[in-house]
Amino acid sequence: MCGIAGVMYRGSENFGTGEALIRMLDGCQHRGPDSTGFALYSPEPSGQLKLRFFIDPVVTVDVDGAIASIRARLLDLGATIEEEAKPGDNYRVMIRYTGDVQKLSYEMEHAAKVISIGTSLEIVKDVGTAHDVDDRYQVNQFSGTHGLGHVRLATESDVKPEASHPFWATGFADVAIVHNGQITNYWKMRRRLEQRGFEFTTDNDSELIAVYLADKMAQGIELKEALASSIDDLDGTFSFLVSTEDEIGYAKDRLAAKPMIMYEDDDLVAIASEEVSLNRLFPGRALNTREPAPGSFATWSRSI
Amino acid sequence: MVSLDLAELSVRDANTQLRKLGEAGENIEVLNPDARHHIGVGLTAPVDVMVNGSAGYFCAGLTDQARFTVTHNVGWGVGDNMYSGSVVVGGNAGAIPGVAIRGAEIVIKGNMGSRAGQVMKAGTLCCVGNANFMAGYMMYGGRIIILGDSGERLGEDMSSGEIFVAGKVQDLGSDAMLTDISQSEVDSLCEFLDRYEIKAPKSFSKVVNAGTKLRYGTPEQPMRSIPFSSFSGTSSYWNPKVQEDVVIKSQSGRYRIRGYGGARPLPHLSDIGFRKDLQNAGSDRNVVNSVEMATEIGGINGARPLKLSMPVMIAPMSYGALSRSTKYAIAMGSAMSGIAENTGEGGMSDAQRDAAGQLIFQCLGGRLGWNIHDMRRADALEIYISQGAKPGLGGQLMAKKVTPELAEIRGIPSGIDLRSPSRHPDILGADDLVIKVEEFREATGYEVPVSVKLGAGRIRDDIKIASKDGFDFVELDGMQGSTGAGSAEVIDNVGIPTLSAIIEAIEALEEIGAREKIQLVLMGGLRDGVDAVKALCLGADAVAFGTSVIVAGGCISCMQCHVGQCVTGIATQDPEHEKRYKPEIEASNIHRFLESVRWQIAALTDALGYSDVKNLSRDDLVALTPEAADITGLPYEPAAGPSAMREKGINV
Repeated sequence: MCGIAGVMYRGSENFGTGEALIRMLDGCQHRGPDSTGFALYSPEPSGQLKLRFFIDPVVTVDVDGAIASIRARLLDLGATIEEEAKPGDNYRVMIRYTGDVQKLSYEMEHAAKVISIGTSLEIVKDVGTAHDVDDRYQVNQFSGTHGLGHVRLATESDVKPEASHPFWATGFADVAIVHNGQITNYWKMRRRLEQRGFEFTTDNDSELIAVYLADKMAQGIELKEALASSIDDLDGTFSFLVSTEDEIGYAKDRLAAKPMIMYEDDDLVAIASEEVSLNRLFPGRALNTREPAPGSFATWSRSI
Repeated sequence: MVSLDLAELSVRDANTQLRKLGEAGENIEVLNPDARHHIGVGLTAPVDVMVNGSAGYFCAGLTDQARFTVTHNVGWGVGDNMYSGSVVVGGNAGAIPGVAIRGAEIVIKGNMGSRAGQVMKAGTLCCVGNANFMAGYMMYGGRIIILGDSGERLGEDMSSGEIFVAGKVQDLGSDAMLTDISQSEVDSLCEFLDRYEIKAPKSFSKVVNAGTKLRYGTPEQPMRSIPFSSFSGTSSYWNPKVQEDVVIKSQSGRYRIRGYGGARPLPHLSDIGFRKDLQNAGSDRNVVNSVEMATEIGGINGARPLKLSMPVMIAPMSYGALSRSTKYAIAMGSAMSGIAENTGEGGMSDAQRDAAGQLIFQCLGGRLGWNIHDMRRADALEIYISQGAKPGLGGQLMAKKVTPELAEIRGIPSGIDLRSPSRHPDILGADDLVIKVEEFREATGYEVPVSVKLGAGRIRDDIKIASKDGFDFVELDGMQGSTGAGSAEVIDNVGIPTLSAIIEAIEALEEIGAREKIQLVLMGGLRDGVDAVKALCLGADAVAFGTSVIVAGGCISCMQCHVGQCVTGIATQDPEHEKRYKPEIEASNIHRFLESVRWQIAALTDALGYSDVKNLSRDDLVALTPEAADITGLPYEPAAGPSAMREKGINV
């Protein structure tokens, strides 16, 4: 139950994606006042991996100790730590790592709460509004090529930072998702993926979509084709946005039960639950927008 | 022309000014709308409104007479429930344009989103571009004109009305068919298009209802006579009820429809008792005046609350399921006792409005009888999501009851087996619901409380949503609740008991620290003041009675409510049967029953040691069965069980 937003700038330089998404989410905050999150993409030329962990201040008595144990685990697994920071309740670390990222992810999942792993992707999410999260994590400082955002009204699961969106496709670097709706065949799909060895860190249906798509892509299937098959395989209502290092895409269920609207021009493509979010990027201007058809999907690639 | 600039004003302030300017007859221009929601909602004056840019959800919603122009796009639900007047949209419209309109003219110059004209009753919705899928979904009347292509499943489950398509009819929906168009219809279409300066196409296809689903293939058969007591009380596996069911189905070949309440043994309020010895109950003859019972419901967010003389109201029951005379009698009885009546699904009548002291106006997915004018004269508004007797289903009204008079107030064709939509066109999740609640508040100037009726299913989640979406109160309806007509399978098998519902609701609200942010009215098989006090002890702010009020007003519990030939004149629309019903006499009976409830509440509250019903506490209760103990967490004390209580001369 929520609002979603996504933006991709055309061109290879960095744009103020953080600020753009803050505005878009502020525009649709009424759809979800409980928590807000951002998936921000900024390519890291050095090839280092960016990792973000959530250190829960409520249950963690010794924050430094928790961070020390994450460091130790990373070193154990053969990573070299290059840079560290502690924004808000996060521990952010840049590492060099040459092994299997999925193995690293699962190992780290067992040791701590991983928010995101990627060479380009960083996820920032917490309880509160877009402005609350910005105040704690300086989202407005982020620049990059593209990103997704999400506001959440918690229904089934608790209001916790780790249950907020966007969801990272656990185990797959740089894949993130924001989703509005409800996947009704969640458990059936999840069991199928679990039988093939994938791990889930929440009971949230959006994580399932992320892992489902990432799995397809890991098999060499294009994002576009993965989106096409998601419309057949997922049951329920959904409008979701997915992003990878180089692409963003959307898919919408056949009943069109959840809203989605998009705007495209020579500079950018922007998609959101409501036009009011798109208009936040262009105050005072009436936009030529388009509503995607039921059961449709599309992708956009970033210029490199 | 006066300009309102949304770069400076909030929509709420702009709408307040808009209504004032409208009353003064001023035309208005709205600047910098930037796709904000609710622009123009609640305007009921014949003025011109020019929106310069794009508007968001429910632009021109719940309006009458005004003429809107939007230069660019609109979001979901443009012209929602509009009575008369017009909207011209220069660009595209999102989903459900013209939803539930009752006579307006809506013109979309670009394309329109899915489910256009859902549950519309009258008027014209015209789209110059293409329509998305399911245009005309469940429409009851009026016409849709599509000059481009139709989209998939055109006219899905329409009951009446016409759809004209100039482009390609991509695909017909269930129970829709193509038919010939007459010259007079073509002339009328051309006249309409001409008026809006749209070039008429050479030809149209016409789509109407095919008539295969308007009535059940086999009529509902009367039940064989089984007294309600053995209908609900037996515990054997094969019993007269099961046998009767199989025999009837061997004739009809489909699911059963019946009225009345759930009829299987379930844990209920009768499975809990009072811990304290109540032997002093009733010793104070003046107890009704000495115990504080006055209760305000709905005012916690600043709206004007309902003022109840005791924490009791009437459960929602529709004119339709019940006769006009019965609704009139209940309205009078409730007013005599100083409590609130509820319209239920079928709209508000003048007689009911005048007779009821306080009246809650209910809004359902079919928007039957829903309109801005009655919203304004209601004392509270209520969004029905579901009901305890049949969570997840809409109402059913068999053809026999859908008389021309009833059809008119609901805005539907007469003589159909009416199966009301189970979902709202514009509420497909908590996120849409919050925008809907805001629309109602805008339309009524934030003065009228807005409640939600929830059938108890996943109440732990639903109640959290209700509090987050800003409702003033919840009418929470457990599985033992009744209905005028519903699928027997659902009545007996879906939902959770009333007792579980109140416990889950309170726990869930406490979990998120929101117990004080919303009020709870419990219903679903509550019978009298004893049940009311137990519910109040468990944490309800008030209770509502349906069945017991009907029984007090003459119902003989024959469970044939759905048939339409109620011998007492209650559950019927047949004037011959209704003649038997004497509203004035039954109003007095209902009033007397409600006064007995008042006495029970007062006497029990007093005997438990309180001078105010607000002090009743769950510490006053014990569970009398292991199941009730498990559900409520109350101590199970067989020593306080029914037989022990009876030995002490206490009626439980």
